[in-house]
Parts: sequence; structure tokens; C-alpha cells
Amino acid sequence: MTDLVRRFPVLLAALLLAVALGACGGDDDEGGQEGVSGEAKQGGSITIAQTSQPDFLDPALSYTVNGWEPMWLVYAGLVGYKHAEGEEGTQLIPYAAEDMPEISEDGLTYRFKLRDGLRYSDGTPAKASDFEHTIKRVLNLESGGSAFYLGIEGAQEYVEGDDPEADIKGIETNDETGEITIRLKERDGQFLHALAMNFAGLVPSDTPFRNMTEDPPPGLGPYYFTESVPNRQFVMEKNPHFNIPGVPAGNVDRITTKIVKSLSRQAQDVINGQLDYMQDPPPADLKPEIRQRYGDRYEEHVTVSTYYFWMNHDIPPFDDPKAREAVNLGIDKPALARIFAGELQPGCSFLPPGMPGYDEALDVEECPFGNPNEPPNLEAARKALAESDYNGETITVWTNNDEPSDRVGQAYADMLEKIGFKTELKILDGGVYFQTIGSEKTENLHTGFANWFQDFPHPGNFMFLVNGKSIQPTNNQNFGNVNDPEINRLIDEANREPELTDEAVEKYAQANRLLAEGFHVAPYGHRKLATFLSERMDFENCSLFHPVYQNDYSSFCLK
Amino acid sequence: MATDPASVTPAEVAPAPVPPTEGRPAAGLGPWRLGLRRLRRNRVAIAFGLLFLLLVGAALAAPLWAKHVAHTTPFENHLSDTIERDGETVNVVSFDGVPIGPTWRGEFFLGADPNGRDIMVRLLYGARNSLMIGVAAALVTTILSIVLGLIAGYFRGWVDAVLSRVFDVMWSFPVIILGVALGVSLQLGGLKVGPLEVSGDSLLIPILIIGLVYVPYMARPLRGQVLSLREKEFVEAARAQGAGPLRVMFVEILPNLASTILVFATLLVANAVLLEAALSFLGAGVRPPEPSWGNMIREGVERVATAPHVAIVPGAMLTLTVLALNVFGDGIRDALDPRAKVRMEH
Repeated sequence: MTDLVRRFPVLLAALLLAVALGACGGDDDEGGQEGVSGEAKQGGSITIAQTSQPDFLDPALSYTVNGWEPMWLVYAGLVGYKHAEGEEGTQLIPYAAEDMPEISEDGLTYRFKLRDGLRYSDGTPAKASDFEHTIKRVLNLESGGSAFYLGIEGAQEYVEGDDPEADIKGIETNDETGEITIRLKERDGQFLHALAMNFAGLVPSDTPFRNMTEDPPPGLGPYYFTESVPNRQFVMEKNPHFNIPGVPAGNVDRITTKIVKSLSRQAQDVINGQLDYMQDPPPADLKPEIRQRYGDRYEEHVTVSTYYFWMNHDIPPFDDPKAREAVNLGIDKPALARIFAGELQPGCSFLPPGMPGYDEALDVEECPFGNPNEPPNLEAARKALAESDYNGETITVWTNNDEPSDRVGQAYADMLEKIGFKTELKILDGGVYFQTIGSEKTENLHTGFANWFQDFPHPGNFMFLVNGKSIQPTNNQNFGNVNDPEINRLIDEANREPELTDEAVEKYAQANRLLAEGFHVAPYGHRKLATFLSERMDFENCSLFHPVYQNDYSSFCLK
Repeated sequence: MATDPASVTPAEVAPAPVPPTEGRPAAGLGPWRLGLRRLRRNRVAIAFGLLFLLLVGAALAAPLWAKHVAHTTPFENHLSDTIERDGETVNVVSFDGVPIGPTWRGEFFLGADPNGRDIMVRLLYGARNSLMIGVAAALVTTILSIVLGLIAGYFRGWVDAVLSRVFDVMWSFPVIILGVALGVSLQLGGLKVGPLEVSGDSLLIPILIIGLVYVPYMARPLRGQVLSLREKEFVEAARAQGAGPLRVMFVEILPNLASTILVFATLLVANAVLLEAALSFLGAGVRPPEPSWGNMIREGVERVATAPHVAIVPGAMLTLTVLALNVFGDGIRDALDPRAKVRMEH
């Protein structure tokens, strides 16, 4: 003790000196390098949060916003979207391809050439045949995105065959010249967009035919996965081999995504600086405070999305249109909007605002189920149910435990009870929900929660969810097994137009109207999302909200 | 929750000598009547016991309150509804998703939750679920603990060794982690044991899980007592008269464990209610829309800033119930054997 007392002043001086040096000294891991005036600051690490684990961290399989928002920066296909806001962000530009494709006059053949010198994040050189392997993985793993590539010649035969290494006749590649030729069975106006989707993000040809979530494959994007612990966190770091002109290289060096169930905790952590970004909007509880006190780093954006309830057409009672009509008449859309704390715009249209083919009149004043901003017509709903074949059996209502889906599910079940259905609610974890309801092996799939954010700015991207051709035994995205011949015909004809002509848009609009008139789905609104960043992030200069991929992590930078 | 974290030691078998009471000689009174007399003198324990009975009564009256006072059910959402308050028409849930606070009247007496459901109604129905699960789980634990404790303590040898190791393994897991792991794994597929099939949503699942995880906490002390009792003369005498193991265990030894069992059972109910709330809070217990204090607290956690009543009300109810059971349980323990050191350790 005596020794310590004597030495105390020296120790104190040393401590103060260390603190001073630490404060003034060089860069720490979190801080990054000071950028040139006017440019984004480079370097540093950021931590972000998602409410549930992405469905997959495998480009062939992932089909959720949780997965795509980070993976857009890891996997690059032949083409992709410009990293820009608004309409500019919907423009397609070449990514791994040297240039946009040559498309034959009949619209059936697409020719690309791979850029020279591309390397994956592990240093492996990219080659043309990687494209065929990438598409094979999507088809072989029965991905939810398979439907987008079945139009390639030989793709259907590949799926029906047993050999994962078999060739897809309609894809020809030449590793020496880098040429890639794709032949379609019929014209498809969405095909370029399909090539821009995460599913077609190139992976090396030795990537196994299995779910690689725990060990994601290397990609060509500006970042790559360095760690993946499902349901805990995953980490992305800058890809040292990234070299695609026109695609930003990203500003921060390292992005850690943590899975944090509680939205309140996420919001508090962003406020306190322990998190830099939260993928979901802050909870309603904290919004007034956030808007008022942190408005300089918070912004809301309308998204091209639809929230709806699917109803399984394959099993009673929803194989009967009258039962589906009862649901559409009886769901209380303004009530559901309150669950979203004002972040949902009630509507009836499956095609959302901002999507070609959207009809505002159908969405609101001319909605066949009544104005979505007014209470429902319960009497009409009960009458429709009475006229249906419903025999009083208990129907299972499915939802997941992400906020606010769980409460939406509870409200929906109660609404169905008010109409006259007997219900049982099943709430699944968000990480397994869509795979479970997309599997034909799951029993009692009567009705449940779903939502859709545009994959690409083309109405076909919404309409495939209700096209009978999209139904598949696993990873099915047509949850209600909608299979109306007239709707299918209109969608297929519109899809075949090589460009989104007025005629094509009109066909999609007609299909949308038939969807409403046949009560095939029960839409109830369109969502707003938000960007909320921590104090140390440069919100003003470095936060880009992309129309397809939401918040663009490659735009994030520290102050 | 638990009382002080002393290590678990079994209660003494013979009641302590009782000093003479006023006006009535102690001699001639059996241990149970003596215990009752001591309990009656413990006014705090009696008060909390009555409080618990009041809570049980309120839970039983839930349908009456729901139908005749609140005019709703625990599942009915009133998202778009309005009510009159102080001459004004107010939304039960605002456009921003903020639910109304306590009205102190029949409808929405304690306010609404974020889905517009009446909190008082859900609180009372939640009490039914929470208490029912707590009592049933305690019963499961008690029955299993008695059987396993008797078997382990009476037969000793390899039987005792195996059972004791099983208890040790279960004991080594924190109950909450074991409960969550079992709850989540049984949620989707339910439980299928031979012809017995239990749905994942059934309340039987949390009852079985909670009942199972607490077995070591009671079985081990009972085993210890049985080890001691089996050497007593009355047990030898029973064996000498030809009594088989079953008769010795259940007719001779078991009655001597009664006071320990009673004290443990009371404390177990409190812990079971608390564990059920924790599991439901974490999403591994009672499934929505079925109300439970735990899942009500969970719904309220996201609304602490704008609607604190949503979490505070079920939280306060839970605290009150567990406190009442713990104090009453302590009172029973003190009454039956003041020298006992029966505790539940976590």
C-alpha cells in the first residue's frame, strides 16, 4: 500500500498521458481514413442489425429483403442496377458483362461477353462457364427464383433430369473468349431483370450444389462474407479483387450484421451509437421521439410493395371463391394500418403504386371490396361466407414472429373469426416462415401473412406470385397456389413482350383487375420503410435508398 | 423468485419441540395442528395467502368480467374502435399505433394493448393460464420427484447412481435455457409419444416442460431424506413384517416426507409461474393469441415510451403473485418446522 501511495502520482501521470495519446493518436479500427474534402470518408467498420436471420446467405436461394440487401454487394451477375435513387436506380447496367447484351431480333437469344480480369473474392478468376453453373444451382436447389430461368432452353429438362452436372442446352459458354450465349424458349420481357437478380450473381464453378449459408461462396461484388453464424451475425469485408466499373467499391471496410429480435433495442442502440443502422423501421413507440430529436439522420421512403394475405386455392375452404370473397370483404384495412403505426397505405390492388400497370382507382375508390380507408362491410362478408361451402372446420392462419407480422396475424385471425371462420393461429420464426409456407409438405396451409417488395421494376415481378406456372413443391412463392387460366394467359402474353410496351402494361393491369375480381388474394396495403443511422454515420452524403434493394450499404460512410 | 441462495438441505424429520402455548397445553397436539397454530399466528403469511386466493378468485371470475363488465373477449381486436372518455371520442388505438391507457371504467379498465385488446380481460385470462400452468407444472414436478426420489433413495446402488447423474445433468443447465430449448423444439411439431399426441400450441407443452425442468430441485432433497428414513427402526420393522419395497416406500416413508413436499410444492408453484412467464416472454411458452403474463409483457416492451401500462400491468401482477406465493410458502415452512432450511436454489 505504501508503495502504491508513493507511486500514485507517477501512475496518474502515465494514465493521463495514455489517455491524451489515445485521443490525439492515429486511426483506430472503427474510424477509417479522413476522406478528401467533398468525398465520402473511406474505411472504418460499422455494425447494423436485422430482426431475423436472412432466409439464406446463398445467392441461389435467398429471396427476402433481409438477404438481398446485404447480398447485392457480394454477388454480381452479368447485369445489375445502377446504384442510384429513384428512377435512375431502376436502370440496368453491365456488371460482370463487358456490355449490355446483343439481343436477337426474335428476342430469343442474348449474347454477352464476360469482362476480362475479373476475380472472385478468394482470387479465383471468373470464367464464362461460371454463369451456367450459377443457373444450374438455382434450378438444382429448387430455389424460389427457379421460375425466372425455366424459360431458358433445356432448363426444364435439366430440372427433370437427375444429373446436377448435366448441361443446360440453352446456355453456351466459351471460357477462352468469355462469350456467353443464352437461348430462350420464348420471348421474355423480364429476362434481363432476371439476370440482374441476386439468384444470377456469379459463383465459381466448383461451388457445391447445396445450401451454403454457413459458408457463403465467394462473389464478384465489392464485399465478401468473412463470417456467418446463423441467427447471431454475419460479417462482410471489402473484396480486395473487386473490379467492376460503374459499381461503387463501398466506403467502409467492414460491415457486421447482428440479428437482434427487438426493434426497440435496435432503435435504442442506433440512438446510443452501439448500432449504425437498423434494417427495419424503428418501432412505433419511438418514432415520435426519433422524428423530433434525430430527424437529421432519419428519413421515410415509400416502397414499391404490397402486403397481403394468401388463401390456398388447393384446399377447402379457399378453393371456393365465395369464401375468398368473404375474406376480402371482411378484413379491416384501416385497422391493419394502425398496427404499422402509419407506415402502411391501405389499398386493394395487388400491383402497388409506382409499378407500371398500377390502377389507383382499383386500389381505392373502385375497389371491389369497398374503400380500403373505411371499415369493412362485415354483413356482406358474413353473407358471402354463408353462401360458400365452408362447413365450420378450423382453418390455420400462418404468420411469423417478426414485428409487426405477429400482431398482423393475430388481428387477421380475429377478423376471420368476426366473419364467421373458426381459426387457429400458427406463428413461426421469421427465419423459417417463407420456406415453411412455400413447401407443399406443410399441412393445413389455409391462409396467412405475406408481403412482396419489388425484385425489379416490372409488373411481371409481382404477377409471377399469382401465375399458376410459378407453383413448385418447395420454395414456392405462389403461396395461395393461384392458378386462374385467364390470369395465366394475360401474364404469359405480357411477359413475352421484349420490352414493357403499353400493350404489355395493359395486360398486366387486366390481370391485376381479374385478381381482384376473382378474390384470389387479399391485399391490404403498401409499406413505407425508413433509413435511420447512428450519429457517427454521414447521413447527408452517404445514405442512398435504392428503389429495388432499399438501403445501399455501399453508400454508407462514417463522418 | 428464490429466497436466499443457501445450499439446499433437507428439513429435519421430527418437528422441533414446541414451547407451551397460552391456555392450552402443547402436549396432545399433532404436528399438523401445531403447524396450523403457528401459521395462524404468522399474520404476514396469512395476508399473502389471502392475497393469492384473491388473485385466484379474480382469475376464475375472468369470464364474468369479460362478458358483463368489459363486453369483449381476450382475443377481440378493437383497432379501429373508439370510446367516449371525458366527453371526448378517442381511438382505442391511434393512427400511430398507440393504444389507449387505463380508463378506470368497465371497458378498457386498465387500457388496451397495441392490438386494441382489453388489458384487464387479458390479464384475468392470462392469470388463468399462468396459474393453471404453474399449479399443473408443480404437480407434475411433485409427482415425478416423489417417485424418482423414493426410488433413488430406497434402492440406492446403481439405480441411485443413474438417477442422481440424470439429476446432476439437468441441474447443470439453467432452467430458462433448458426450458427455451425444449419449448422451441416442441413448438412446430408438437409432442408425439406412442399414441399420445400433443399439438405444439397446447398449454400441455409448457406444463410438461416446466414440470420436467424442476424435477431435480425437488427430487434430490427428497432422495436425501429417503436415504435417511430408510434406516429408521419403523422401516426395519415394516420390512421384518414382510412389507415389500412398494409398501415401505409409499406407506411408511412417504407420509414422513409430507411436510417437505408441501413446502416445496408451494414454492414450486411460484417458480413455475415465473418460468412460464419467462418462456412466454421469449416466445417459447404460451403462444399468442392465448394470453399469458409473459407474452403480454413482451407485447408491452415495444411500447414502454408511449404506452407503459401494457408492460407494467402484467409485470406488476406477476410480481404480486410470485411474492404472495413465496411469502405464504415461507410461512408454511416456518409453521411446519421452524428449523427447516428448505430452499429452492437456481
